[in-house]
Amino acid sequence: MPETTGSLSPTSASRFLRGVRLGMPVFLGYMPLGMAFGLMAVAAGFTVAQATACSALVIAGAGQYLAIRMIAAGGLATTLIAVGVVNLRYLLFSASIAPHLSGVPPWQQGLLAFTLTDETFAINAADAREGRADRFSMLGVGAISWVGWTLGTLIGSLAGSAIGDPNAWGVGFALPAMFTALLVGQLTGKREYVAAALAAGSALALSLFVQRDWALVAAAIVAATVMTVAP
Amino acid sequence: MEPTIVWSLIAGMALTNIIVRATPVAVMSRFELPEALRRWLSYVPVSVMSAMVALEVFKPSDQWRVTLANPYLLAAIPTALVYRFTRSFLGATIAGIGAFLAFRYLLG
Repeated sequence: MPETTGSLSPTSASRFLRGVRLGMPVFLGYMPLGMAFGLMAVAAGFTVAQATACSALVIAGAGQYLAIRMIAAGGLATTLIAVGVVNLRYLLFSASIAPHLSGVPPWQQGLLAFTLTDETFAINAADAREGRADRFSMLGVGAISWVGWTLGTLIGSLAGSAIGDPNAWGVGFALPAMFTALLVGQLTGKREYVAAALAAGSALALSLFVQRDWALVAAAIVAATVMTVAP
Repeated sequence: MEPTIVWSLIAGMALTNIIVRATPVAVMSRFELPEALRRWLSYVPVSVMSAMVALEVFKPSDQWRVTLANPYLLAAIPTALVYRFTRSFLGATIAGIGAFLAFRYLLG
């Protein structure tokens, strides 16, 4: 995306910090989810170091939950294939964010790709739509999200069942709330409303037949395709 | 659990994840994409978010809740309004959590 280089442009540090602020809702949502993962991983036989390393290196919510459920019963190969399949949706997200990252140094592209999740994608895509996102703000969003997920896992795996159920504080609604706000931000014109309606309807209908992640990806593909070919 | 298995699992997951996430960025950011593809990609975010909200609100934790007595659905309304008028993701998220707790309490 266009980056102004004039002397009045904010410094890279202030743009990074803007991203950190932008990513706070993700942090808020990831802490309890990370804690839940830490708890489950330790219960499944992971050490604190293994659980935390898993979150720090993988950052894949649904994929990680699936892995600890599968690894106990299934083999290593089956588990890896299943996790890979669950994470195929990132191909789509990565492709969608790619046009904004031309001219960004490969190591920064790498870091951005590493912190690409449903939530960071949504925040950055919404910010890009307003013409504000740049690589530093995106790195800030990624960094604070990574901290939330990893720190949450560390706390969850250390504390064990002592922390109780984080859902009692309503944090289970943090990510749905964030997505609702992001959706409102994306609804800028008639075509966007049509795309949103198509995607929502297709996702719910498809979820009758296939697993949630697949319903999500298929619905997005259906809606984007219809909007592209429709006059 | 056997440490070798766990560490192999972590390494394997880390590897597959970065490949899936980085390949499109690495390849597609190098070329000028055709207009139709760019158009298609521009509809992906709004579609993903709408699909996500629909699933989170009407089928939270994979359980259908197609009823008005649904705290997820009801809490989404003040969340959307707060974002509409404040343009703050954090403000809307916190308002949404508050509304969700209130509706969940009221609905039992």
